[in-house]
Amino acid sequence: MPGRAAAERIRKAIALINAVADGAGDEEITPTEIAEAIRDCLELRDVDHVPNVRRYLGEALDAVSDGMPADFVAMTLYAALGALQEGGAAV
Amino acid sequence: MKSEEGRGRTLDEAVDAALIELGESRRNVDVKVLSEGPEETVVEVTVIDHAAASALAAPVDGKSEVARTLVEGLLKHMGIRAQVTTRVGTEPMTLDISGRDLGALIGWRGETLRALQSVTNVMVGRHLGEGERIIVDVERYRQRREHTVREIALRAARQVKMTGDPITLDAMQPFERRAIHLALDGDPEVTSASIGEEPERRVVVGLRKPAAE
Repeated sequence: MPGRAAAERIRKAIALINAVADGAGDEEITPTEIAEAIRDCLELRDVDHVPNVRRYLGEALDAVSDGMPADFVAMTLYAALGALQEGGAAV
Repeated sequence: MKSEEGRGRTLDEAVDAALIELGESRRNVDVKVLSEGPEETVVEVTVIDHAAASALAAPVDGKSEVARTLVEGLLKHMGIRAQVTTRVGTEPMTLDISGRDLGALIGWRGETLRALQSVTNVMVGRHLGEGERIIVDVERYRQRREHTVREIALRAARQVKMTGDPITLDAMQPFERRAIHLALDGDPEVTSASIGEEPERRVVVGLRKPAAE
């Protein structure tokens, strides 16, 4: 299904950020890991099939690099997920 | 505020017992777990006065009012008719959204609710202090999930004690995993640990190894 792999990877990145924000207290997640998860999303061709997805992912990656709050990064990734959905991808 | 103590074999039974005494529904109450054990769970169920709750929370520093107004505006733009109130005496600050047919606002495994919380925190961010966050809850979904996973944890602990075999639970969100760790923290016989990677991270409940002498 087009878009499903991208959606799964975006959700993984969001889950990592949520783990940082919620602090389950059982993991140590670094910004590098979150950045890697977003880069994994960018590697997929799916993200080029739907407008704006690559742009939002790029913005999220920049936000991680700039040390923006976790909620800001999460919001940008949710925007990417929403764009995939609006683009008719199976999410 | 009206409150009642409830006792039952499970958390749900205890809450139901108190709700019957109060003549209230779950959406209108706040639940505090007084004690949880393998035989009996005791809770204190307090009826929430939504109007008083808003009036009490608002004057504190204005933050809650800013957040509440903002979420109300967001919901209005989304075409959702719902009431937003601030939960009193909670840390971190919690906004409760209540109304009819709000399932769509919760979304798959709480995803939409989580997104709404992220947007709220970004928009209210400049009014919040360092590390301060706002929790957004819809129809007490978050609280109900925490209670449910706590029940699961206690059931798993009972089984582990009987069989001696560790149990791996379903993949859960961080706040749910934390609820499990906290539920089992005081149990001297079992221990909990998380394994795997997000979003498939799971809690394993096993027997606590005796400390090396």
